[in-house]
Amino acid sequence: MPVRLLIVTVAMFGLTACTLGPVHPWDRDLLAEEKMQLVPDAVENFLDEHIYFSKEAASGGQGIGGGGCGCN
Amino acid sequence: MTLLRRQGYWEGEFTAMASPCAVLAEVDTAAEARRLLDIARGEAQRIEARFSRYRQDNIVHRINTSAGQPVEVDDETALLLDYADRCHALSEGRFDITSGVLRRVWRFDGSDRLPEPAAIAALLPLIGWDKVLWQRPRLTLPAGMEIDFGGIGKEYAVDRSALLLQAETRSSFLINYGGDLFASGARHNGRGWQVGLDDPSVTGQGSVGGLEIKRGGVATSGDARRFLLRSGIRYGHILDPRTGWPVPDAPRSVTVVAATCLEAGMLSTFAMLMGKQAETFLAGQHVQHHVIR
Amino acid sequence: MQLNAGTSIRGALALATCTLLGTSLQDSRADASADDWRVDGGVLYYSEQDRVTVVEPVFFLRKKTGEDRYFNARLIFDTMSGASANGATATNTAQTFTSPSGTTTYTTPAGETPLYKFSDERVALALEWERPFGRERQMVYGINASVESDYMSVGLSTMLLQNFNDKLTTLTTGLSANYDSVSPDGGVPVPMQLLSTVVAPPPADEEEGEDEGGESKSTLDAIIGVTQVLTRRALTQFNYSIGFSSGYLNDPYKVISVVDGSTGATVDYRFESRPDSRLRQSLYWKYVYHLPRDVVHFAYRYYWDDWGITAHTADLHYRFELFGRSYLQPHLRYSAQTAADFYHHSLVNTAPVPAHASADYRLGDLATTTYGLKLGLPVGKSSEFSLRVESMKQTGDSYPADAIGVQRNFDLFPTINATIAQITYTGRF
Repeated sequence: MPVRLLIVTVAMFGLTACTLGPVHPWDRDLLAEEKMQLVPDAVENFLDEHIYFSKEAASGGQGIGGGGCGCN
Repeated sequence: MTLLRRQGYWEGEFTAMASPCAVLAEVDTAAEARRLLDIARGEAQRIEARFSRYRQDNIVHRINTSAGQPVEVDDETALLLDYADRCHALSEGRFDITSGVLRRVWRFDGSDRLPEPAAIAALLPLIGWDKVLWQRPRLTLPAGMEIDFGGIGKEYAVDRSALLLQAETRSSFLINYGGDLFASGARHNGRGWQVGLDDPSVTGQGSVGGLEIKRGGVATSGDARRFLLRSGIRYGHILDPRTGWPVPDAPRSVTVVAATCLEAGMLSTFAMLMGKQAETFLAGQHVQHHVIR
Repeated sequence: MQLNAGTSIRGALALATCTLLGTSLQDSRADASADDWRVDGGVLYYSEQDRVTVVEPVFFLRKKTGEDRYFNARLIFDTMSGASANGATATNTAQTFTSPSGTTTYTTPAGETPLYKFSDERVALALEWERPFGRERQMVYGINASVESDYMSVGLSTMLLQNFNDKLTTLTTGLSANYDSVSPDGGVPVPMQLLSTVVAPPPADEEEGEDEGGESKSTLDAIIGVTQVLTRRALTQFNYSIGFSSGYLNDPYKVISVVDGSTGATVDYRFESRPDSRLRQSLYWKYVYHLPRDVVHFAYRYYWDDWGITAHTADLHYRFELFGRSYLQPHLRYSAQTAADFYHHSLVNTAPVPAHASADYRLGDLATTTYGLKLGLPVGKSSEFSLRVESMKQTGDSYPADAIGVQRNFDLFPTINATIAQITYTGRF
């Protein structure tokens, strides 16, 4: 199941990257905004990751590092 | 070309692009200052040679005499054309490098001689970036039209010179090409460079205040020396390419501080082109600015 | 055709200028007033109904130390208190529990899910350095440490970001290593030992002194991902992560009820036991889209590990831009996981004793639903104040099919309801 999901996701991803045209440097105004960053709010992201790490079995996925705690 | 020792920095001067140019650098030796001055002067002269409309041996001349034929341009010219194209779009047509032909009928010599409306109307069909076919790297200018990089040339030279100097030295410097400036960073004392704002009513002789800049570009658009005065109405030299007439209610002078000289220059030009709306426009851009009416 | 005089074209102009000059937007971001510092000071308040409450002040610092160079620091204080489920299920009689070393006891009334009270403080510090590594590459190095009364963690991490396609594509690879050690109050229990057989140790031996027993675990994590700019408005990221932990992975405070095979009444308990290694993997996808004014963030993660747990998590944030720089951001999160192979809500006394068993609800079939709202208000030129309130609910199989006898009368997987609130001040100067 995981392998199939991986193939489907990569295919989807590959498709989307191909069907859209190049993004010119002068069109990167929106992308430079802080709210467009992959992690727009580092504090909120960290606190949420910590909450769900201690309250669920699954964790991570977005990044690494950050350390452990006795909460799980 | 002269080089003078000032308090804490060296000041080098030369003439280029029909303007007095200066490079102020916080370096220790005259040799170092001269080296930087040579690099800056070389770049200013290179850009002038390549893009001045007054010369007969450059790409601009070739384009302006192409009689409707496509001209293949080099990378640097292509980048400038892309930039002009983008600014045309961002200003909704107010900034237009094909508007230079209007100088054939408008002479801003301080007199009261306005051109005939018919003469202006005759030129309008020869103005309009949207009439130009720009498909990198080929530019096709309809016969009779001209392009003029005058609106961005000096600022471009300032920023390009700054890039070259930044690769050569870690000391703070200030480049000033005829009032278009770039400061590369805080000085040794942690402060910025002190810049005076020209008072347009006594241009060159007085200032209306100053600003301190650590890093960034400063540019001023103004009608200080070039205007017409008739029946009490002052006609600034910033023309609206869509009408052929000066922008009504344009400020006397707009100074903008931005990250680069090009950005500052374009924002000050846009502000002038917005006429009455200059202050509102600049407020919305969140840049340090100074408008004199 | 009136250009709205208030519309900001500065961003687009800055970009056009950078293209012309061949510089990156970051190079020219500094102007007469550069933002070198970003400081966040905030407090998280997390409170489960009748259970755990956490108050967590946090301090984040990000300082630009040079071209493309940054220093990040994070200081966290965690105060946890309240009651936590110990893994035993509610039953028709009162239940009494003793810690492994026999020094602590607590009693739960009949019909209630056993909880043990605790309170603890934790301090954690993380430091990170970002610097360029060639023209199209950025490296990040980090260290972290965390200390609480019964737990200690130290770790290192590193990440490499490689840009392609004029920074439209970024390949990320990262590695991190952590070493954790636990010294539980009351000592480390013997896994799967019946509580009834725990014998109180003799009075403290002078030589052993403070040594109540401790265990450790090591974790190694790796990530590889691709971030791709799709259009002027859209960005996406795709990551694969893998992590391996080995050592002491049990929760020393948790037990599992042992019930009578015919009546279902609780007769004893065993200390839980988990395998001494765990291999975790996940696939993560993020999509960010900028509408004319608003921005939407969507993330999905598929997780699986060798404990038999699989989880699907979907997360959605929609940022509504209000007047000025203020915004309202609703948030929705849903996560569903399947139980670990060794998860049991309880064990049957007549059944063979499994090698591993845990009744920790966090390893069971669990669905977590969170919804919340965040409000952001501008402060000064570039700083911000934000307030976030969320509600989280966790549910599982309260009345499993294999419940025996009296077990059917009790909720074997109580729903957890928690409120999350966060207040943060973000200063940029």
